[in-house]
Amino acid sequence: MSFLELNDVSVGFGPANHRTEVLTDVNLAVEENEFVAVIGFSGSGKSTLVNLLAGLQKPDTGSVRMSGRPVRGPSPERGIVFQNYSLLPWLTVQGNIELAVKSVFPQFNAAQRREHVARYIEMVNLTPATEKKPRELSGGMRQRVSLARTLSMQPSVLLLDEPLSALDALTRANLQDEITRIWEQDRRTVVLITNDVDEALLLADRVIPLTMGPNATLATSFSNTLERPRDRTAMNHDPEFKHLKAEITGYLMGLNREAKALRVDQAIEMPNVLPADFSTGRREPPKAITRRAIAEANAIHNASEGDETRNSDAA
Amino acid sequence: MKYKILKALDIAGLQVFDPVVRLCYGEEPKVQLQKIGQFIIIPIITFILFLIFWDYAGPRHTTKSGEVPTPAVVRDAAVGVLTFHERENIKGEDLLRSGPQRDAALAEVEARITELEPIAKTAAAELKETELAAREHLKSSTAEINALYRAKRLEFRDAAKERQTELKVLADKTIDGTEADRVTLLEAVAADRVQSAAETEEVQRLRDERSAIENAKYPPLIAARQTSNALEEELQFLRKRRDFLTGENRDLKITEVETKLAGLESDLASAADGAAALKIATSIQREQDNLATLGESTYSKPWTLPAQIDRSVRCVFVGFIVASLIAIPLGILCGLSRIFMAAITPLISLFKPVSPIVWLPIIFIIVGGFIPDPSDSALLDIFNAIPGLAGMDVNPAFIASALTVAMCSLWPTLVNTALGVASIDKDHLNVARVLRLGFFARLFKIVIPSALPLMFAGLRISLGVGWMVLIAAELLSSSEGIGKFVWDMFNNGSSQTFAQMFVVVFVVGAIGLLLDRIMIVLQRLVSFDGAPTAL
Repeated sequence: MSFLELNDVSVGFGPANHRTEVLTDVNLAVEENEFVAVIGFSGSGKSTLVNLLAGLQKPDTGSVRMSGRPVRGPSPERGIVFQNYSLLPWLTVQGNIELAVKSVFPQFNAAQRREHVARYIEMVNLTPATEKKPRELSGGMRQRVSLARTLSMQPSVLLLDEPLSALDALTRANLQDEITRIWEQDRRTVVLITNDVDEALLLADRVIPLTMGPNATLATSFSNTLERPRDRTAMNHDPEFKHLKAEITGYLMGLNREAKALRVDQAIEMPNVLPADFSTGRREPPKAITRRAIAEANAIHNASEGDETRNSDAA
Repeated sequence: MKYKILKALDIAGLQVFDPVVRLCYGEEPKVQLQKIGQFIIIPIITFILFLIFWDYAGPRHTTKSGEVPTPAVVRDAAVGVLTFHERENIKGEDLLRSGPQRDAALAEVEARITELEPIAKTAAAELKETELAAREHLKSSTAEINALYRAKRLEFRDAAKERQTELKVLADKTIDGTEADRVTLLEAVAADRVQSAAETEEVQRLRDERSAIENAKYPPLIAARQTSNALEEELQFLRKRRDFLTGENRDLKITEVETKLAGLESDLASAADGAAALKIATSIQREQDNLATLGESTYSKPWTLPAQIDRSVRCVFVGFIVASLIAIPLGILCGLSRIFMAAITPLISLFKPVSPIVWLPIIFIIVGGFIPDPSDSALLDIFNAIPGLAGMDVNPAFIASALTVAMCSLWPTLVNTALGVASIDKDHLNVARVLRLGFFARLFKIVIPSALPLMFAGLRISLGVGWMVLIAAELLSSSEGIGKFVWDMFNNGSSQTFAQMFVVVFVVGAIGLLLDRIMIVLQRLVSFDGAPTAL
């Protein structure tokens, strides 16, 4: 039995007769202190997956379990870092983190709380910005605050929902290093949701692709055995990294092609309309506009298209 | 420093003065001057143009209360209102003065009276002279036109007579006359008609001209009358002061009663028999009661405009607070629960458009039901005990006005609060869920703070609506305040009170503006996203 599990989980929305399944039969097992990255295209249901793990959303079928017990709702045990920071704009950095600390550790007195908050602000290198409001901070700094807030709750599982995708490349690299550093210092179970193969390989022990939605599910995982600490520049020349990256990228691209091929052919039959011919001076519609003519034109058109498809299939 | 000032201006919504500050710090003088021209000079010029137009157009319309007052007249009226207020305050103080203070004040008053009396006398004499002169002036200026008028009238009368005799001759001719004679007669009659009309018109024109000259202002007379009136008013005021500092002075009266009491007590000690003693004891009791009443007596000051403004502002705040206490919790409930929102929406939609003029009488009667006897009501005592309302003479009319304000102004706050709470960021709610915040922690830590900017936008609109409603409510309910002042001035109907109504326009506008500014500042202080606020 794993630390955090998803067993045959399916989630969908809409009424029964017109249902869209987002996730179908998802199985995931994360071991304690493991760093797992889930990678997928946008719109494939990554956020739904994270919401399931956090307990913000309930599965339609299947179960979410943590240490064997079913997850019934959100809890500070599974800290989540949102893609768009979710900081409370009317509170300072200190206030945002303090709110979390207050509700998770009600037993702390004021001094302990302050000390605890200061430690986590320090951990993400934001001590000079303690008294700033979120809007006075850059995107990277805001995400650090969000990370510090989640870490300060001392969760046993850290869920990172595309935490870096809204940031520019430089800040992103910076924060990746930061996350690595913090994880090295204080190992815990992490599930990272991302759309960046490099990021996944840099941070995670295991990379699991999510297939294209609807009916997305988790594919077989790629074990990332690259040695830690990983250096982003040196890594680029590591043959194993190159191999893994090529394999994952190839797999994902394959998914993309497959998804396109699977898409239902929804060619709409267009009426074959021709402009009226006024040159002859007669105001009668030209021949092509009669019902029969349209049917004929369509038949010819469809026949030629069918040939094309067959041709491309042969090729 | 510079940036602190600029920030303060920004928060106060006074960005207009931003370039002035920047100019003082020598920042890009050319740009700043251009901005000053655009945002300060042009508005000032517009205002001056408005005053000029007003000054021109006002006197051209004559009403039952005289001409529409010009800006200068309105300014004088404002000064008059303030003088009245100050004098009433001084009178009130005088009544309570005692000891050396009273002596000093009395000496001052006496000195002023002796100083003024001869001046007033001269002014009165001068006024009489000027009146005579004015009459003379009028006579001389109308003499010419009068003569002309008379001459014309005589001339026309004679002409008319002459024409009549001519017509008579023509009429006589038609008897046994020819067709031509009859035509001539008809033509002559028509011509006479036209001629008479022309003459009447001419006479009327002359008469109008004469009355225009008669009605024309004679500036020396107006000036003399004003001087004399002002002096008389001041003298009357000083004489009243003198009364308050002498005969009617509270302290003096108390001393008087005390000496009387002492006398009575010594009489009681030496009373000859029981009946006399009883009589004296009764007198003592009466005098003691008298003393107690005297000790609490003050000058019953009439309401002056500044005092009425004060009362109006307090009244609008009472209404505003009541409205907020109702609207904010209801708004939060609406925002939190779709069911509650659905339940209450018809009520909001139905009552929101109802005019204050309808609410007021209803509320007035309902409030009256709670306060059957205004002179002895526990409810009114509670209101009067509220700090800030002491001395405001809270009466049913005041409460009804305040509640009308509340009834009409709660809607914007209610709707905005509901909107603010309902449109809270889903992510913030997710944070609350992950932190497992309880209902109240979620309410006070997440929901209310995030709804505050919209809530304050609603409060700001509410206060503006409340202020507008209040004036009408006071006018209808006769609750002492600006509205009552306007109504009294309207009923008075003199040209002076007409001008004072114009003063009220500016007072109400200025206070409304000030209240709005205060709300803007509050709104800026609570708004966290730094979103600009409409001005």
